[in-house]
Amino acid sequence: MKRLIGLLILLITVLGVAFYIAQNITPPKDLHPLGEYYLENSYFGEHSAKSPEVVTSILWDYRGVDTLFETAVFFLAIIGSLTLFRLNKEQAEEARQGQPKPQLPEPVVVVTKLTVAMILAVSASIALHGQLTPGGGFQGGSALAVAPLLVIAAYTKYALEKNGLDKTRAIIIRSIGLLGIALTALTPLLANGYIMQNQPIFPGEALGVPLGGSLVLYNLFEYLAVGAGFTAVFLLLSIPEKKFKKFLGVRR
Amino acid sequence: MIALLWSITIVSLLATLIISVCGIVAKPNLVKKLIALTIFSDTANVLVVLLGYRVIYPVKPPILPQLSKTALGEFVKTAVDPLPQALVITAVVIGMAVNILIAFAIIQIYRIYGTLDVREVGKTLPELLRRGEA
Repeated sequence: MKRLIGLLILLITVLGVAFYIAQNITPPKDLHPLGEYYLENSYFGEHSAKSPEVVTSILWDYRGVDTLFETAVFFLAIIGSLTLFRLNKEQAEEARQGQPKPQLPEPVVVVTKLTVAMILAVSASIALHGQLTPGGGFQGGSALAVAPLLVIAAYTKYALEKNGLDKTRAIIIRSIGLLGIALTALTPLLANGYIMQNQPIFPGEALGVPLGGSLVLYNLFEYLAVGAGFTAVFLLLSIPEKKFKKFLGVRR
Repeated sequence: MIALLWSITIVSLLATLIISVCGIVAKPNLVKKLIALTIFSDTANVLVVLLGYRVIYPVKPPILPQLSKTALGEFVKTAVDPLPQALVITAVVIGMAVNILIAFAIIQIYRIYGTLDVREVGKTLPELLRRGEA
């Protein structure tokens, strides 16, 4: 009852303030000049990224350095998580021992197999069509990370590791992705460009499909980096609590 | 009427921001603090996307419908501002990674101290340090 009264007071306050403000504001109908510039120039125009998807062209071309540093933040966050759960060699070996047998009924397991295949296809499509349709490396990578999570939930983490996707490999794939981003960003320097320059260096389209120059490369590498980074973290997170307590020497 | 709906949206988002800040400060449980933090960051992202929205009837996403210059004028008239969306995309994924880092820290704190209450953790920490000296 007490909570209900609090909620009611909150609701009335919000509605009252909104009613008061409504007389003084007009909802925005026009674009900001900067947004209009990006919309006009992303495919046509002199400073073009050759990508019909304006958000992606801002992300990796017009504001590319911004995104580069955001990727650095992502790198540091994942490295921080891996460091917090650091294991030595024997502990890592012990963490890998377990039964890769699903504990769930048969239909769940079969449906999971189908869903994982579909998630892989959809995430690749999101990432690789990032210069044409909504999506891109970040979104595709986040979707990709759901697949190993689903496998961990329906089977076990041991099944994932027995099939070759262990923490080390995930970290290697992530490093390949980040290295690819760095190399793609530095390539224009060889041709007397500036860092992350797009159109004069990279091809605009291939086989009649607009590629957006370097955008497709960045999307591909970011897809690998984000997907594999989250996979490594999920693999660490799924080590049973009993084993971790033993490693830490906690008696509770 | 449209102005009223628009202002209700903005004011309720601001109220959510205030409530989530209260959650971060007032709740003693670390997991609840993390939940409040995610609500805070998501609300901030929605506010940023709202900055680029246009209240007109046929409103389109910022993707060229066809690759011809004749469609460009119509497109600029109906498309929303792409810049806030581009800024939010990275913020969402980075926020997810940072939230995972915080969650890892919280799990480790729970393993070592056996509690998630910040007051309990504050009491246990000096004891652990003293035990190391003895």
